Amino acid sequence: MFLAKRLVLAHFWVAFVAFVAALVLGEWQMFVRSPLSAWVGDPEHYYRSVTGHGTVMGYVFPTLVAMGFGYAITELALKRPLLGLRWAWIGFWLVIIGTVMAAVPIAVGRASVLYTFYPPMIGSVFYYLGVVLVVVGSWVWVALMAINLRAWKRDNAGKAVPLAMFGNVAGAYLWAWTSVGAAIEIIFLILPVALGFKNTIDAGLARVFFSWTLHAIVYFWLMPSYIAFYTIVPRAIGGRLYSDTMGRVAFILFLVFSMPIGIHHLFADPQVGAGFKFLHAAFTAMVAVPTFLTVFTIVASVEIAARLRGGKGIFGWVKALPWGNPMMLAVTFSFIMLGFGGAGGIINMSFQLNETIHNTQWVTGHFHLIFAGAIVIMYFMLAYDLWPQLTGCKPLPAGLVKAQLWLWFVGMMVMTLPWHWVGLLGMPRRMAYFDFTNPALDGQGWTLIAGSIGGLMLVLSGLLFVFILARARRTDAQPAPFTFSIPVHMPATTPVALNGFSLWLALMIALTLVNYGFPIAQLAVLKETSVPAIPIGGR
Amino acid sequence: MQEPALYAWGNRWFRWSVFGLGGLTVAALLVGFVWLPSVQGDFTAKGMWDSICRAAGVPSEWSSTGNWPKSSKGTTNVVLTSEMTRSGAGDAVGRGATIAVQQCSMCHGAQGMSDGNSPNLAGQYPEVVIKQLYDYQRGDRSSAFMQTIAQTLTDREIQDVAAYYDSLPKARAAPVQADEPGAPALVRVGDPLRNIVPCVACHGGIDHKIGAPWLEGMPKEYLLSQMKAFASGERRNDSYGQMRNMVRLLTPQELESVAEFYARREPAIASR
Repeated sequence: MFLAKRLVLAHFWVAFVAFVAALVLGEWQMFVRSPLSAWVGDPEHYYRSVTGHGTVMGYVFPTLVAMGFGYAITELALKRPLLGLRWAWIGFWLVIIGTVMAAVPIAVGRASVLYTFYPPMIGSVFYYLGVVLVVVGSWVWVALMAINLRAWKRDNAGKAVPLAMFGNVAGAYLWAWTSVGAAIEIIFLILPVALGFKNTIDAGLARVFFSWTLHAIVYFWLMPSYIAFYTIVPRAIGGRLYSDTMGRVAFILFLVFSMPIGIHHLFADPQVGAGFKFLHAAFTAMVAVPTFLTVFTIVASVEIAARLRGGKGIFGWVKALPWGNPMMLAVTFSFIMLGFGGAGGIINMSFQLNETIHNTQWVTGHFHLIFAGAIVIMYFMLAYDLWPQLTGCKPLPAGLVKAQLWLWFVGMMVMTLPWHWVGLLGMPRRMAYFDFTNPALDGQGWTLIAGSIGGLMLVLSGLLFVFILARARRTDAQPAPFTFSIPVHMPATTPVALNGFSLWLALMIALTLVNYGFPIAQLAVLKETSVPAIPIGGR
Repeated sequence: MQEPALYAWGNRWFRWSVFGLGGLTVAALLVGFVWLPSVQGDFTAKGMWDSICRAAGVPSEWSSTGNWPKSSKGTTNVVLTSEMTRSGAGDAVGRGATIAVQQCSMCHGAQGMSDGNSPNLAGQYPEVVIKQLYDYQRGDRSSAFMQTIAQTLTDREIQDVAAYYDSLPKARAAPVQADEPGAPALVRVGDPLRNIVPCVACHGGIDHKIGAPWLEGMPKEYLLSQMKAFASGERRNDSYGQMRNMVRLLTPQELESVAEFYARREPAIASR
């Protein structure tokens, strides 16, 4: 790497320290609500903690990882120094200042609105401004990714953009458009109320704007992991990438389909028409396509590695996989969690089936499996993989890394599978208090005990992760050149469509207008839809 | 072979993606707006176009009977906003005191502390007094005395009275705390399985919601009679039925324990 080492390290360290802090909050939330602990008495403390946990895990941690990884990819894949280093630092500091600005009101109980905001609840204005700064900081990154790709293309006319950079910029554009929904909600609907200019808010419209961001943000979180699947995993386990083209297709499909589907979060909201709910459900189903493409391609790539190692037979090759390699373990765990989480997600997105699990613990189980499970376990791996590049350290100890991955995987399964079960029994999510003395809850308390145990394993795993990274000795030794996966057959030419984004951005925006244009316009002109704001944390 | 330009029908990536996405969108629109509504009686009652409009969330009329309760008596007409929670200025308090001494003190006490079973008003939140006076004025809350008095008050006088009572010291200096020993479970944690929210979530302690009165030190008989009136539906001026939905499911013993708890006072009347 050239200029970005310290920059990437700064992003990663802040992300990981914030991550561990939020992990501890999450475990506390599990513990105090379980029969293991006496109830703390004040539900506001619980919601304060949920807001902190969600804000860090949803906005700060994945954004910093995506930014840091993006800067690293820019230098490693394009093999040239990052343009706009000073701007990148400005973006980083905006994220830091925003995080602190949001964290203080959360900590003092002035912003217990959860990271999904939930108007008409209105928290401290500094909370929202902090979130806006985090997003603005990430927009600097989006711009830098676009500028760096453009400059590289200008100097390398006709050449295929390296797959890692292609995915990286797809993620950046996805985030740019995705974050617009929440940005509109905050700037035009929430801030005027939080600043005291208004005392009513159109909560229904605000929810529609948030749904614009709410679902696609998951695909922004997911992009670094998918880039790792395609461009790091095959190399790390000694195989080849089955198809470079498939990777590009998956990335552009995410770009087009992940955005205009968020109304499936509003199936129970009366202000949106049933026709649009169906439309969004149908397009949500389309996201399965790039997901399955990826699973297929990565399994095929892994099979190549096994056959190179002498694996034979239809399934016999599985035994020949490098199971001692942490990356092999991580990708396996990731796919198992993606499988369970994805299967649950199909129920969430189905207009009718959703009714059985809407707003239950099932949903919490689902998104923890997908994000904290399948996605975050790959964040660990990309940090481990990049660490020698960033610090000049030797490769990290495989034994400890594997222990950390096992703890994370087992902890996540122990925590989330009982959540799914108890969600089917009807346990609501976001409950601060469960009355286990009530006979109607007989036989449900164990799920929270399991959650606390699983959560404890996750905290230990998180601490071990940071320990492994912190223990790596920094040296000035020049690390071996970083390589990305090599495809089995590199296509001689890459179609213009798969070497740039303009067509896909146009389709993404067009589809957003079709799927969101009418519901937003209709709610915006509807009269008498505002309700009094409910200030949080003190009159 | 030279690849055709991206934005040209000759480019198969362009052709297939535009047609594919367009076709998928049209198909999904047809299913969602035409086919699925066609099997729902309430969607199709007024023909195809109305059915599409309903699926889009804009039916030509929102109720099949067409008779919406326009401004039904007995439910509140007051929209509570954070503006109403501000304490009044000194002159408003002064004017309010004059009115209060003349018209209110007989029942609510000279210092806003009732000796009978009328509610204490000392230290009551201003928006509570404002809302209740408007509800009395409009006949949404019934009381032979209060309706008569409220009808004589102007908007400014109502705000002045509210400012005055807001300025007086409360019966108890501090609200109930969520972890207060001796507080009934209903007050602290509610009863989630009956959908009953803890009292302290709105009436102070954990959080105070606009329009929820300060209850500490209120006469027990008053609290009990109001909860019973909410439970029976005799009193209906709570926004969105908030109180009616809470107390309807409570047993007489539970009502009694909650009223008794909130009615307790500090040994000596505390100052603010």
